[in-house]
Parts: sequence; structure tokens; C-alpha cells
Amino acid sequence: MRWTVLRRFATSCLIAALALPVAARTRPHYGGTLHVEIEGDPWQRPDGLARRLVFDGLTALDANGQVRPALAVDWSSDDNDHRWQFKLRPGVHFHDGTALTSVNVIASLTAACSVNCPWTSLRAVGSSVVFVGDSPMPDLPALLASDEFLIALTVTADGKTPNGNIGTGPFQLTGFNNGVLALAANETCWQGRPFVDAIEMRVHRAMRDQWLDLGVGHADIVEVPAEMLRQAQQQRLTVDVSPPVALLTLQVSDSGPLANPMLRSSIALAVDRATLFNVIFQKQGQVTASLLPQSLTGYSFLFPADRDLGKAHELKGGLSTPPLTLSTQGSGAMQLAAQRIALDLRDTGFNVQVVSANAHPDLILRKLPIDGAEPYAALELLLRGAGQTPPIIEPGLAALYKAEHELLDRHTLIPLLDLPRAYASGGRVRDLHLLSDGTPDLANVSIEDAP
Amino acid sequence: MSLRQKLLLLFSFTVAAAVAAVAWTVLVRIRYVFEQRDQEETALFVSQFQREFQHRSAEVAAAVDRLAASEHARVMAFELVQSGDAAPYLTEAQTMAQDAQLDFLEIIGPDGNVVSSAQWPARFGYPEPAAAQAPQAAFLKRETLPDGSAELGLFAVRAIGGAEPSIRLVGGKKLDQSFLADLPVAPGMTVALYSDAGPGSDAASIPNAPANSSPFDPRHLVGASGDVPAAARYQGLIDAARNSGQQTSGILYLSQRREDSINATAIPLKNQAGQVLAVLTVAISRGGMVDAQQHIRAIACGVASGGILLAIAFSLWIAARVSRPIEELAHGAESVAAGNWDTRVPVRGRDEVSVLARSFNHMTDKLATQREQLVQSERVAAWRELARRLAHELKNPLFPLQLTVENLVRARALSPAEFDEVFRESTATLSAEIANLKTIIARFSDFSKMPKPELEHIDAKDVVERVRALYESAAANSDSNIRFEIDLTNAPMPLNVDPELLHRALSNLVLNAMDAMPAGGTLTISAHPQDDNIELRVADTGEGLTPEECERLFTPYYTTKQHGTGLGLAIVQSVVADHAGTIAVESRAGGGATFIITLPKATTA
Repeated sequence: MRWTVLRRFATSCLIAALALPVAARTRPHYGGTLHVEIEGDPWQRPDGLARRLVFDGLTALDANGQVRPALAVDWSSDDNDHRWQFKLRPGVHFHDGTALTSVNVIASLTAACSVNCPWTSLRAVGSSVVFVGDSPMPDLPALLASDEFLIALTVTADGKTPNGNIGTGPFQLTGFNNGVLALAANETCWQGRPFVDAIEMRVHRAMRDQWLDLGVGHADIVEVPAEMLRQAQQQRLTVDVSPPVALLTLQVSDSGPLANPMLRSSIALAVDRATLFNVIFQKQGQVTASLLPQSLTGYSFLFPADRDLGKAHELKGGLSTPPLTLSTQGSGAMQLAAQRIALDLRDTGFNVQVVSANAHPDLILRKLPIDGAEPYAALELLLRGAGQTPPIIEPGLAALYKAEHELLDRHTLIPLLDLPRAYASGGRVRDLHLLSDGTPDLANVSIEDAP
Repeated sequence: MSLRQKLLLLFSFTVAAAVAAVAWTVLVRIRYVFEQRDQEETALFVSQFQREFQHRSAEVAAAVDRLAASEHARVMAFELVQSGDAAPYLTEAQTMAQDAQLDFLEIIGPDGNVVSSAQWPARFGYPEPAAAQAPQAAFLKRETLPDGSAELGLFAVRAIGGAEPSIRLVGGKKLDQSFLADLPVAPGMTVALYSDAGPGSDAASIPNAPANSSPFDPRHLVGASGDVPAAARYQGLIDAARNSGQQTSGILYLSQRREDSINATAIPLKNQAGQVLAVLTVAISRGGMVDAQQHIRAIACGVASGGILLAIAFSLWIAARVSRPIEELAHGAESVAAGNWDTRVPVRGRDEVSVLARSFNHMTDKLATQREQLVQSERVAAWRELARRLAHELKNPLFPLQLTVENLVRARALSPAEFDEVFRESTATLSAEIANLKTIIARFSDFSKMPKPELEHIDAKDVVERVRALYESAAANSDSNIRFEIDLTNAPMPLNVDPELLHRALSNLVLNAMDAMPAGGTLTISAHPQDDNIELRVADTGEGLTPEECERLFTPYYTTKQHGTGLGLAIVQSVVADHAGTIAVESRAGGGATFIITLPKATTA
């Protein structure tokens, strides 16, 4: 009996001892500096990691891609979506203390979008911003959540141009030295102070060095490109992977030597997507021949993605083309994919040279963002990212399919793969989640050993 | 051309030819020696290149051997064979090539397709024909790169041990500038490598790849330090080596300057199939040889110039010894020909020229002596002729005088009346004969007293008119039945003559003509300009002269007339000669005679 009591007491103590650290882990700590390393430019759209930390949009997308309020707390439309009114969140201030007003918002949106905007005019109505368009804007709330329409302070209260990038986001820019972008927590952020005190973001860091730094504890969060996901998993790194958020696409010029649509069609049939998927991108993401992923539309499989070399030859026929140039954004797998596509096209009789930089290449291999859960908004954002004017699409999946089919028939955008984004984190990083666009939600990350 | 000039030319040509012959011989010898040296250096370099090539080949083979035998490669090959999935090894070749310090490395799967390529990562899945050959030794191969260029390399193929079916590694190192820089190159020698993406390259093995033509492109000729100057000049040599597959040599001129020329040798580098993949060029500058040749040429020119100057000096000296006496002899001969019979040339030395000069002087001495003797003989003959003429002329009047005097002597015995008549006849005869003697003496006196001409500027027409006026009326008053004809031109016929002497000469000719026509006839006096002369003609229609008479007509004291002295035409000839003119006669038997006086036309000044 006594031994039984003692045994029960000891067991209870052991369980309590084991449960204590688990309970401690559930409470995030404030403070500390988060070290992030990236390969690209943190300010460059659409993957600019620092932009999302410094600036907010009128709306935002939650983890599921659904639109949620951000700097705007409410919005409504009338006149058959030709007019939208967004009511600004009260009490929001920029990092320099300037209050967020509808005038600031209009100035920022005007600076961000001077031509080819979704709207025709902007108007401030009290604490609201009114968007008016010649055509219906059913997806405007989702569009305003995109990287393109983040709100920045363009004019200070005294009418001067601000010095630096000033937003309303959870972090404010404090400096840039020796390739390290320094961000400090915004204590008065409208969505609450972030857990970490600061973020040091080392930019233009080679992928191999990022992984080495992660291994030795010099970095907390590093990038994991899709083609290295399997390698990261083999190395047992803690990796967070997003669903497909980027469309690898071959953008074909419809002028110059490729003005003939037969040639562009031949190119579309000559590219071997399976090889890109299986070898270069190590079977990550999915092969696609549609602009929007299967998860958004459900009809992606209707677009044939197989390579048809015979048909490609047939379409090219005896047409001769001068040497074509193919450029790509990014390095590593993107360069490799570009070279492979050049080889694929060479099989069809095209002479394609991969160039590092060219003002007007005939072909561009690039990644376009697939953002949000709304297919119409995602398509519009994708086309805007490609520099094309989105068509007016009637509601309904059939209309969307038809619009996408017509877009693809022009063969100026050749979808290849839907790719995920992934980040590896170190052992002291807690609560790392990826946003709907695949970027890490650093505002809600905490550091375990923070003081 | 004078003898001195001939000698000068001869000596100069001899010296220049001798110098040129020596210089040419030396130049040819230098060229031969340099070419021999270049050939030896090239042959030495070729052997050293072959050793270096073999050394590189062994290095490549050893590196690929080590890779194939490594545990890492074995594990990779095992997993690859087991899984059949080549995707995880896409970048494996790059890592392995970096570790093994290879420029090229491809991992070839069991199906002969590329699993991973270090030099062209995107080329996975394409076949690699070189892997099937699997030669033990390294081989030459041209590797096409993603940018379309091609690199020449030494490759080796090895199977990774333990994997079945076999996984192969095709690794290699570039044959590029660094390889050229490692070659032992002699001073003055430059080596370069020409290669391009021609048929047979990897690009051609890719299905439907754009065809690569391989015309000569100077940008593909690379030296140890980069671009090769004037690479386009190598085209002929390199093309010859590429087409023939044989080592080819030649002289290349890299610029217009000869010192920029090179002795170049093109060595074709072939793969195992015998295809020429590249051409190694070995160039040895001919600058040293050209400099030496130019130096020798400069020396030869200097020597030739000096020789020619020496030749001039020598020719002058020779002239002083040889040509000057000959020239003096020539001048002496010319002087003798001009009538200076007392010309003498200096005699120097004892050589043939001096003998000739001595003979010349002896000859002129003889000529002067003989001339003097001839003059004396002629003078004696003239005196004899004069005496004979005088005797003849004086004998004719003296004989009547003697007869008249003897008749007078005999007449003293006659009656006074008869004596008076005889005396009257005799004195008349004596007076006539004495007058005859006076005439004879006066003519001789006139001949001896020919005055010096006093020149005046007159027109020939005036002289002719004066003679016509004098003798035409006289002829008309006589019963000789002679008709005068004057033929004059209207053009001025200026003469610079003594009018009295010319009148006297024409008068003599007119009188002779009138004497030649005792039965009458036509006497024509004409004057016409003839080029730079004035031609005066006096023609008669008498019996004319025989050729013998024409030949002797102007000899003093020769006459065809019964009572002539033979001095008339001699006087005419003397007058004409004093006026720098000539006189001639044209005649044929029975056709009359024409005397032609030609006098120089006076200048207008």
C-alpha cells in the first residue's frame, strides 16, 4: 500500500516533470533577434520577404487564402462591383508616427499603380477610400491584398517625401549594412507587437551557405528551393512547405521572330514538362499546362501537358527562325531549367541561347505568383505579374475555363509547373507558419531561448 | 660614251655584281641555317608536346580512375542501379568534377544516357557516344557547351566498379590556354590552338541540333596569353592541316613588314576516329633572320657603295694611266684632221700606249715634212707653170716684135718711102704688141693684187641689173646677135658682199659666155634664193664644155680660148671664195654652159 502510494506519487511527479517543459513551450517568448537568410532581394516583388514585414495592405489573405481585413476593417461594393468603398482601420500609424489616412492610402496606391490599374479613379470619403472602375471589379479586395498594393507612406504630415521605406507593418526598417537588412519590431503595430525584437535578414546569400549557416546556428530561417526539398528532408531539416504558390512559366514574345503563332505553339509542344518536374525540380510541385492550379479550378487536367515533338515539328514545318534568346530570373534550378528548355527547343529546330541578361529576350522563364483562394483574383494577379492585361471574365467556372483557354491559345504564356515554397528553420524557432503566398509569417515567430 | 665612262661602268658593275653575289650567297646560307634551326626547334617542340600530351592523358585517366574507384561513386552507382531514379544525382557530376579537379565530367547511366553532366547540367537524358567506346587510354574529344561554344579536352572513360549494369564516368580536362602555357616553349616561339564546333562534335550528336559548319574563324585560334595577333593569316595553313590531316608548314606574313613573318607549323590533333578536332600551331618568328638579312643587305650596300667609289677612283687612276694618253692621241688625231700637222702628243712610259704616242708623233713629223716638201714642190711647179705661161704669153708678142725689129733693120736698106711705110707698119705692130704685153702684164698684176673685200649690204638683183645694163647695150651695138635674158624673183635677196668684186666676177662670167657664143645665142642671168643662200646663174647657149674642161676650168692659167690668160675664172673663184661662197659649172657638149655662184644670204640684222 505504502509502496503503491509512493509509486503513484513518483509517477505523478515524473508526469508533472515531463509536462512542465511542454507547458513552457506553449507560451511564446518576446524578445530576441531572428536571423533570416535569403538568396534574392527582400524588396523585390513578388517574393520580397521584407515588404510583407514593413508594409500592410488594405486587405490580407489568411493561411487559407481567404481575404481578411487589414488596414481596412470593412468594405462594400455597389453598382455591380464598379464602385468599392473601403473603410480604414482607425488608430493606425506609420512607423514615423504619421496617422494612416485615406489621403495617405490614395497617395500610396497612386504611386504603386500609375497605369493599367484595376480601378479608374480613387477618392477619399472621410476615413474611407472609394475605388471606381469602368468595368466591374469583383476581386478588388483580393487584389488589394497582393504585394503590388501594399500601403507605404509617400508624403509625410508636413508634406515632405519620407526618408526610407515607412509602412504600418509589424517591423520597421532600421538599416542595411554589409548585406544585412535590419528590422526592428514595431511596438505600436495595429495588429500587436511581434514576438521578436528584431530581424536580421542577410540577403543575396548562396543556398549552400544558407544551409551551412543554419547547420552551425548562424541562421534561424533559410530558404529551401523546391528542387532541394528532397535533399533537405534527407538531411532531416525542419522544413515548412507551402502548397503550390508559384507558376513556372515560359513567357513567349509575340513580336519579332516569334510573331507567328505557329512557332509559339510549336514551342509550347516542344517543352518537356516531365523532365523539368522529375529531374530538375526533383518531383516537387506538379506538372501543369494551365495558368491556375488544379486545386483552385479543378479543370487543370483538361489542358494537355505532355510533350508532343512530332506535332511541334509539324507546326514549325520549314519555318526558319533566327537564334532566339532565353533569359530567366533566378539561378540554380531556374538556369538549369532554362538550359533544358533550350535543349528541348533545339530538338525541334529552334536555336536558343540562354542569356543572363537581355533587354528584350524572345523567351523568359519566370515564376508567377498564385495568390489566394479566389481563382479569378489569382488569375488577374498572375496576368498582372506577367505584364498582361487581364480579360473581363464572366462569373462561373465555365467562363473562367474559356478565358484561360483563350489566353493559353495565344501561347504567350506557357505554364510548366506549379511549385511550392519552403523554408527550413533552426531549433530555436517557434511557431513558424507560412502565409498563403508561401512566405513565412515572421510576425508571429518567436525564439525559444529569448531572454 | 668615252673610254673613261666605259671603264667606270665596267668597274662599278664588276664591284656591285661581286658584292651582290657574295651577299646573296650569305643571305641564302643564313636563311638555310635559320630554317634548319626552326625545323629542329619545331621537331623538338612537337616531341615535347607529345610527351606533355601523354602526361596530361595519364593525369586525366588517373583522375577518372580514382573517381570511379571511390566509395562515393560506388554508393551512388549502387543506389542508381537499385532505384533506377537518376533525378537525385542531377548535380552529382558537378560536385565530383570539382573534387577531382576535372573540367568535364559526365555520369552515364546503364542505358548510355547522361545522368549528370558537370559541363552541361541540362544535358541529362541525352546519349553520350563516347561512353560506349570505353577506351583504356585518354582520347581527344570536342565538348559542346550550353552557350554553343565548344571546348577541346582530353577525356577518359571508366566504369564505376561494383555496379551492374555498369555506370560510367566520362571525365576530362580542357586543352586550353593553361595547357598551352604549360608547354615548354623556346624563346621566340609561340604556340596556339585552333578548335571549333565542327562536324563530329557533341552538338552534332544531339538529335536535330542546328548544324555546325566549321569555316575558319580567327576567334577560335587561342594562344597561351589569349588572342593570337593576325590570326586570320593562319587560315591557309590551318585549313591545309585540317583538310589533309598532316603536319603542314609554311611562312606566314603577319603584316606588310617582313620582320613580322613567321615560320609556322600546323599540327592536326585527331580523335580516335582520325577526325581532326583541332590544330596546334607552332610559330617561330623570322624576325631574327630578317634582321640579320637586313643587316647583311645594309653591309652589302655599304660595301657596294664603297666599291663603286673605289671603282671611280680606280677608273680615274686608270684613266690617268691608260685612257688619258689615248684621249690625247684621239685629240691629236682630230687636230691633225683639222689641218694642224704639227700636233704632238706627250709620250709617257714604255707601254703600248706610249709606243702608239711615239708613233703618232713620228707620223705627224713625217706628215709635216712631206707637206713641206709637197708645198715646195707645188711652189716650184707653180713657178714653173708661171714661167711657162709667162714664157708662152710673152713669146707670142715677142716673136712679132722680133720680126718687126728685124724687118725695120732690113727696111733701112729700102727707099725712104718704102722705109716709111715699113716703119709705119712696124711701129703700129710694135705698139699693138707692146699693148698686148701690157695687157698680159696687167692681168697678171690684177691676179696678184686681188683686194680684200669691203662688204656691203646689197640685193642680188642690183648686181644682176648692173651687169645686164653694162653688157646688154654692148651686145646690142655689136653684131654678135646675143640676146640677154634676166630671170629674177621678186623676193628680196640680201647679200653681204663687196659689190665691185662681185660685179667683176659676174662680168668675167658674162664675157666668157659672150666669148662662148661667137655665132650668137641667149645669155641668161638669173638670181634666186635657195634656202639660206642666194644662187646666181650665168648660162650661155654655146657649144658647152667637156667634162675634162669642166674639171680643170678653175685652175689658174688654164684657158680654152686662143688668147686667154686662164686667170679670169681663177679670179672669179677667188672672189666667190672670199665671200664664203662656192662656184660650180654645169655643161654638156653642145648644150651650153651654166656657171652657178652660191653665196650665203645676208641676215636681216
